[in-house]
Amino acid sequence: MLTRSLKIGIVCPYSWDTPGGVQNHIRDLAEFLIAAGHDVSVLAPVMDETSLPSYVVSAGKPISIPYNGAVARVLFGPVAFSRVRHWISQGDFDLLHLHEPAIPSISLLACWAADGPMVGTFHAAAKRQKIIFAIGPILEPAIEKLSARIAVSEAARLTLTDHLDTDAVIIPNGIYASRYAHGKPQEKWQGNSIGFIGRFEEPRKGLSVLVDALPIIARFAPDIKVFVAGPGDSTDVEKSIDPQLRHRFEFLGKISEEDKADFMASVSLYVAPNTGGESFGIILAEALAGGACVVASDIPAFDDLLGKGQFGALFASEDSTDLAKVIIELLRDEPKRKQLAEAGKARGQSFDWKVVAEQIYSVYEMSIVGSEKVKLASDTRSWNRFLSKDEK
Amino acid sequence: MVNWIVAAFILLISLWYLSFTATRLDRLHHRVETSWANLDVLLQKRAAVALEIAHSDIADPASSMLLTGAAYQARDADIQNRSQAESGLSGALGLLLEDSQHLATAADNVLLTELSALTDKIRVAIAIHTDAVGRTQLVRTKVIVRIFRLAGTAPLPVTYEFESDVL
Repeated sequence: MLTRSLKIGIVCPYSWDTPGGVQNHIRDLAEFLIAAGHDVSVLAPVMDETSLPSYVVSAGKPISIPYNGAVARVLFGPVAFSRVRHWISQGDFDLLHLHEPAIPSISLLACWAADGPMVGTFHAAAKRQKIIFAIGPILEPAIEKLSARIAVSEAARLTLTDHLDTDAVIIPNGIYASRYAHGKPQEKWQGNSIGFIGRFEEPRKGLSVLVDALPIIARFAPDIKVFVAGPGDSTDVEKSIDPQLRHRFEFLGKISEEDKADFMASVSLYVAPNTGGESFGIILAEALAGGACVVASDIPAFDDLLGKGQFGALFASEDSTDLAKVIIELLRDEPKRKQLAEAGKARGQSFDWKVVAEQIYSVYEMSIVGSEKVKLASDTRSWNRFLSKDEK
Repeated sequence: MVNWIVAAFILLISLWYLSFTATRLDRLHHRVETSWANLDVLLQKRAAVALEIAHSDIADPASSMLLTGAAYQARDADIQNRSQAESGLSGALGLLLEDSQHLATAADNVLLTELSALTDKIRVAIAIHTDAVGRTQLVRTKVIVRIFRLAGTAPLPVTYEFESDVL
């Protein structure tokens, strides 16, 4: 796969020390590329600079702004801009890989400041917004500098074509599939059990849909158990559950990666009732790789990931009656469950970093061909060249 | 006095904008050329691999003939007939590969993996090239570009129509 060692600069728009899909993706990608013998530097906003991995360069402290229905910790401004420029001019990069370059962040600043081979990855999926008509013309010349664009899912690609009128290659997010492939079934999570992993306090993760479905499910499967894993305070959620069913729920808190693999191998069904705002669904890919039989809402990202129901069952999003129906049917039909889990496990392998990183690397190669190294755009602009000639 | 300052300011801004657009257009033209050169090399390589496959045990005599013909056509085609010839080669390869995957030997498998790696790259290269062409054409339709002839003597890039679903 690797023909020569490259110097790659990756820009992370969000604060490095807050957990998030984009950050995890960049961390895994950077570590994979370093293990493959490349020289990687990641520029990211950082809150606490004491415990940074050696390949991360801090761009300063992030600020919190509301964006796309959540709070995003990003960074921009003149000071950040000069740090970005410094990082680019000192880095001597063969290629820049910018993540989410269409939001106000250091990714956009880097895109503006640099000239040379650049690849952009678009993660977000959002509905069409009116505001884009106002900022589109400003973004256009910057986004156009990216020699190749990657979207993490069909939903993200559609967002990109809708908003910025440009196309992208689809390369899914990566997971370490082998880490999940060999989970050992644990008796405590087996039986008629439903698993859920995620920040359950966030409404868009859809735990409430599952909570509403439980009375119906419990009527048909009296021994049903629901295991909820993920960081957060469960008291509020527990209050919203019917007191008679409260003991059916068990909150496990945040679980380790090894436990996650065992968890996926143990539960009868893994349920992802997310109501939207999801672009790819990394946890769903992990559940598939772990050999769980998956039930997910039919939002575009999941519909795509599960191959329209080939690799896991789908239910009408936000419809708890439909969810209950699908769950009961599957609980009663073990062969079907086995078959879905098996198909899903094979599907999960296609998101393994080995496959995904090779695809990303092939995009890198295509972007580098025939171009020089990454430079500051201001160095190549004609009037500056003219001025610097005068000085000599 | 104030009028003069405002006029000078506007003039400066427009000069900056002209220079900015010219740089942008220059970058796009450069991208069109490099991405085409890259795509061209990859397609030549594919034709070479196709010939090797045609001469290997994977292909039966009939498909070997078809493939050899298509590969030579793709190699020799001039720019107008290029995309048609390449699509023809894609079709010939597709026909052959559809049912040969499971009966290939280890040595042939090397060829097939090489081909599929090449196909992946070509797909990305096509995406990059068509995007560069589309962008350039779009920017060149701008009034300001046409009035000030910012494109200079660079020829208007032509879209390379590749039937990507055949790949």
